Amino acid sequence: MNSNLLDIHDISKAFGGLQAVSKFDLQVKERDIIGIIGPNGAGKTTLFNLMTGFIHPDSGDVILKGENITRLKPFQVVNRGMARTFQLVDLFKELTVLENMMIPCFSRRACCKRSDACLPGKKEEKCYESAMRFLEEVGLGDRFNEKAENLAFGELRLLDIGRAMATQPDILLLDEPFSGLDVQDTEILTLAIKKMQQQGQTMIIIEHRLRELLKLVERVVAIVFGEKIAEGPPQEIMNNQKVIDAYLGDKRN
Amino acid sequence: MNTYHDLYGLKILYRRIIGLAIFSAIVLLAPLVVKEGYFLEVLFLCNYYVVLACTWDLLSGYTGKVSFGHNLFVGAAGYTGAVLNLNLGWGPWLTLPMGGLVAGLLGLLVGAVTLRLKGPYFGGVTFCIGMLLYKFLCISTKTLGGEEGLPGVSPLMSSPLGNYYFSAIFMLIAVYFLYFLTRSSFGLILTSIGANEQASEGSGINTTFYKVAAFTMSGAIAGIASAMYTHIMQHATPAMAHETLGAVVLMMAVVGGMGTILGPIIGGYVLTIINEAFRFMGDMRLLIYSGLTFGMFLFAPKGVFDIILRVYRRITQGRKQPT
Repeated sequence: MNSNLLDIHDISKAFGGLQAVSKFDLQVKERDIIGIIGPNGAGKTTLFNLMTGFIHPDSGDVILKGENITRLKPFQVVNRGMARTFQLVDLFKELTVLENMMIPCFSRRACCKRSDACLPGKKEEKCYESAMRFLEEVGLGDRFNEKAENLAFGELRLLDIGRAMATQPDILLLDEPFSGLDVQDTEILTLAIKKMQQQGQTMIIIEHRLRELLKLVERVVAIVFGEKIAEGPPQEIMNNQKVIDAYLGDKRN
Repeated sequence: MNTYHDLYGLKILYRRIIGLAIFSAIVLLAPLVVKEGYFLEVLFLCNYYVVLACTWDLLSGYTGKVSFGHNLFVGAAGYTGAVLNLNLGWGPWLTLPMGGLVAGLLGLLVGAVTLRLKGPYFGGVTFCIGMLLYKFLCISTKTLGGEEGLPGVSPLMSSPLGNYYFSAIFMLIAVYFLYFLTRSSFGLILTSIGANEQASEGSGINTTFYKVAAFTMSGAIAGIASAMYTHIMQHATPAMAHETLGAVVLMMAVVGGMGTILGPIIGGYVLTIINEAFRFMGDMRLLIYSGLTFGMFLFAPKGVFDIILRVYRRITQGRKQPT
């Protein structure tokens, strides 16, 4: 047994003739903050989908805390401790902010973590309390009774991150958390992520906006056409010729 | 700081619960006014269709997985009741639960196979299986009476009034059960599946389990209602399994307001009464049904229930403004 929290071995996935992810490897230790960068269509989101069971890989394994979770369903992956946010935030629009937050609190993992388990009859009340706590944590506590569809884009992002956090994951996967946010929301989100970092949350962040990402992460993985081209500390990656080429090539087109 | 009960307790629901209580009182006192047998039978049909529409709403209204096969439950449970009664001499106290059991198992089976798939498979399969059952009932002339069906089922109660009360009480129990079920975490999770199944699954919810559970419960309750109907009509006919019934139930829920449980009650009453009032038109009644449903889709996709809510809010808010 090794001490890695998450081990990704050689996963590959092709959609028809397109090799979306090929032979990708990644080791994540507890408290790691890892950034994944890459131009559009590089396979970043596909990678998250493969890790969380939304898509199953053609080959390779995903090992979480020593358990092979490659073929599990998304909810099983969440209940084993890996939760993600979505790139296109589209939550439960007709539900209130609070109800949005209650859904992950109903998950088996959240119930078990609350130690009160899932006592019938008490479940809703306990979930309400922990949902409120998570709402306070992402700064949406005073908007609990608002319909989610009335939230601003930045707030919706925060709610989505809170939703993933409410499943109490060991690893949190953030899919482009900064895309589409204005300066102020970016600031709020950066603070929120830093706070989670201080609490010891292990995170993997996909991001397009390098400036925000490099402030947060300790290790960066660059992928192009589904292949890892570089891995290392932010400064090293910034000066890596292959990465520069990939990004500049992207911009020129 | 609010507590859970401030937001979700009975206090916040008191208007709807008062509404339900008034409705229950009207249902239970109706025979004092309506004495004629024919009208009592129409009211019984209302009770029956309300159960079907509300059970359809549990899965399809809340999760958006539209089933075209409620006739499957009705046909299967109705014939179960009739066969057990005619061949084994079982009384309603046994045939009703058995009807529910058979329909529930069907829901479990069909749901477990099709509800895990994304896309239109569920709707398609429910439609086809209902149709298959209808054809099967029509051609089983020796065992199930073919198109004639199975007549001679023993009556449920000795009088029309007894039948009415039995159906009314069953309908009320079913409605209260479904209403409070959808107000619990179960209903909240079903709603989240309807809003965004991917995010629900990404929140650690076994969405397939909840969908299949809803479909099974929906089938079981509809099945009991159908066996009850068979005993009251004393006749099981293939028409019970015809897709027209599935479509009518769907329309009742849509006209009333999907995903509310209370809406389909209204839809059930309105369409059953329209159906009876225009009986002289024969099958052309379906034109009225379809036209009404189409109009509702276009102008009030959330159904009659939503219109009532909006009118109520306008009245109460209008009253508040001058102060």
